[in-house]
Amino acid sequence: MRLFVIILTILVLSSSASAGCREKECMPEEFVTDVVAGDGDGWYFYYDSVFSIGTNWFIIVESEGTSFEGYISFEFGNNLTKSIDVNFESGTSQKVENGSISFPGSTFSDEEFNRILYINFTEDGGEQTDNFQLKIQINKPPADDMIYLWGGMTVFWASIGAYVLYISSKLTQLRER
Amino acid sequence: MKYEREIFGLLGFSLILCALYFALIETGPAKYFTAPNAQKLFYFHVPSGLITYLAFLMVVGGSAVFLYNGSEYADQLAKSTTELGIVFGFMSLVSGTFWMKAEWGGDIVSRFLTDMRLATTLAMWLLYIAYFVYRRQPETLQVKKNAAMLGLSGMLMVPLSYLSSRYLRSHHPVIVGTDDQGSLDPSLRIGLYMGLFGFLFIFIFLFKVRMQIESMERDILRSKMEGA
Repeated sequence: MRLFVIILTILVLSSSASAGCREKECMPEEFVTDVVAGDGDGWYFYYDSVFSIGTNWFIIVESEGTSFEGYISFEFGNNLTKSIDVNFESGTSQKVENGSISFPGSTFSDEEFNRILYINFTEDGGEQTDNFQLKIQINKPPADDMIYLWGGMTVFWASIGAYVLYISSKLTQLRER
Repeated sequence: MKYEREIFGLLGFSLILCALYFALIETGPAKYFTAPNAQKLFYFHVPSGLITYLAFLMVVGGSAVFLYNGSEYADQLAKSTTELGIVFGFMSLVSGTFWMKAEWGGDIVSRFLTDMRLATTLAMWLLYIAYFVYRRQPETLQVKKNAAMLGLSGMLMVPLSYLSSRYLRSHHPVIVGTDDQGSLDPSLRIGLYMGLFGFLFIFIFLFKVRMQIESMERDILRSKMEGA
C-alpha cells in the first residue's frame, strides 16, 4: 500500500513537471511564417518567449513540406548563434519534424526585456533569403540561496560579538576584584 | 606601543568592513556556482578556517613548550588560543555548513559522516572543546600537564584535518598548492586577502585581551595564595 502511494505520488509529480520538456506541446508560444525562398513554405516555430537564466532554452522548428535547402540560424547578437541544417537526400519527404536548437541557461547573466532573436534563412549558396525576429524576455529568477548567505554571515558576527562581550565582561569583573 | 592592541582591532574591523563591501556590493553573484549568493561566504569561511588552524597550532606549540620546560607563559598561551580556536572553528564549521547546504544540497548529517574533511575538522574542534572543558577546574600542575598532553594531540589532528581533502575521500575543494590556485580570479583574491588579514588582526586583538585576562586571573590567584 505504502509503495503504491509512493509510486502514485511520483507519477503525479512527474506528469506535472515541465522543466526538461522539449516537446512542442510544452512550448507556450507558436510563430508561423511563410518563407519566400521556399515558394511560400509554411514554417512553424515553437518556443517560450521567457528565457529563464539558469535553465536551457529551446526552440523547435517544423515544416510540413519545403523546397528550401540551406541552414536556419538563430542569433541573439554578440556571436550568440546556433543553426540547423536543412538538406534532404533525394527520395525523402521534404518535411522538417522536431528540429530544435537550444541555448544554455548560462547564455545570459542579466535580466533584459524584448531581446531580439534573429532567425535567418540562408541558402546553400550563402545568400540570405529571408529573416524574422522574435522578442524574448530574459528573466532572472529570484535567488533562493540568500537565506544561506545571511545565515552564514550572521554566524561570523554573532560569534565574534558574543566572544567580545564575554571577554569584556570578564575583564570588567577582574578589574573590580 | 601604548595602543598596539586597539590598532590591531581597528585595523581588523576596517578590513572586514572592506571585505564585506567587496563581497556583497562590489562583486555580483558568482558565476559557475549552483548557489551564486552563498558563494560570498567564501571570503570569510576560508579565513576563519585558516585562523582556526593557526590557533590550534599555537595550542600545540604552547603545550609542547610547557611539557618541555614548564613555562607558565606557554601554558597561558595554549589556554587562551584554545578559546579563540573554538570561536573561529565554530564560525568556519557553521558557515561551511550553510554554504554546503546551498551548493551541494543533501543531508547535512550524512555529509559530516562521509566527507573526511568535514569529519576530521569537526573531530579536531571537539577535541579542543574537550580541552576547554577540562581546563574549567582548579589549576593544579597535574591538570596543566594533562591539558598539555591533550593539546599536543592537535599535532595529529590539525594536519589530518588540513590534508584530508587532498588524500582522503572528500568533496571539499582544495585550492592552496594545487593547479586551481593559479586559476583563482584576481578580483577574488583581493576579497579573500582582505577577509584573511581582517580576521588575523581581530585574532591578534582578541588574543592580546585574552592573554591579559589570563595574567590577571593568575595574579589574583597568586595573591590569594600568598595571603592564605
